[in-house]
Amino acid sequence: MAQEMIEGINPTRMELLKLKDREKLAVKGHSLLKEKRNALIMEFFNILERVKGSRENVEKQLAKAYKDLATAQVTMGDLAVRKASLAVKESVEVDIDSRSVMGVVVPVIESKTTETRTMVERGYGFVDTSVKLDEAAKNFEESIKLIIELGEIEKTILLLAKEIESTKRRVNALEHIIIPRIENTVKYIEMRLEEMERENFVRLKMIKKTMEME
Amino acid sequence: MSSQIAVMADQDTVTGFRLGGIKKGYPVQNMEEADKTLRKLVKEDFSIIIITEKIGDGLRSTIDQFTKTSALPMIIEIPDKTGSIRRESDPMSELIKRVIGVEMVK
Repeated sequence: MAQEMIEGINPTRMELLKLKDREKLAVKGHSLLKEKRNALIMEFFNILERVKGSRENVEKQLAKAYKDLATAQVTMGDLAVRKASLAVKESVEVDIDSRSVMGVVVPVIESKTTETRTMVERGYGFVDTSVKLDEAAKNFEESIKLIIELGEIEKTILLLAKEIESTKRRVNALEHIIIPRIENTVKYIEMRLEEMERENFVRLKMIKKTMEME
Repeated sequence: MSSQIAVMADQDTVTGFRLGGIKKGYPVQNMEEADKTLRKLVKEDFSIIIITEKIGDGLRSTIDQFTKTSALPMIIEIPDKTGSIRRESDPMSELIKRVIGVEMVK
């Protein structure tokens, strides 16, 4: 098996020392990156627990909301619904913070939509609106809460996945290419140096012998 | 940091979300309009942009360009009133499979 080595290396002691330092660094980096990868994957699994079913929840809630909206549109008329919707006050307030997981900045959203609003707080009139409109509004409020949560989770997964992929690639490159290559080169240089030493030894013996013969 | 949410979707979805309390609704009719609006919204520093899956499919490359590079803005795709699009493979589970290496039972 042809062993891969670093090209263009002179078999000298200086190079050997340099290579040994590089090997030490590579091994250290490899173990650190491996730890990072493991930590990231652990975090990833934690998030996966949360993502389970949250998209389905959003879809279910939204389907309910759309149905109520359609009913409201039928009973009140499309324009009236749109008019009422324009009167609704802003309900959602989010704070986006970020948190660092092993150097990956992931968003943390704090939404202040927890309290359910009463009909009066929403801001449209009672006279020309139907009950279904209230229900649609309530369902949409719920949906928005779920959607924001889902967005946070999906974004986190996306960012973590990207980082895990690149970390994995680096770990593999170090483990399967860079470290073996350095090891082989070190071995080659050591062997060359030993060989040179033996040559030298033989040469000295020969010289000694010829000198004795004279 | 307080931030803003915007909805970009068809008229009915925008109306619905206005009822729910997101006032920044941008109804769009076609893809060119959607593309232009999305770029405008990103420039205006909305941190959460809710779009429908149909628009999302049409603007995939634009969205990727915005989301791949940074944590914000967060572009969330939701089903519209006709229900969610059943995809051959869910991009999320595809990604998970690629990262973990094995299929997760969901």
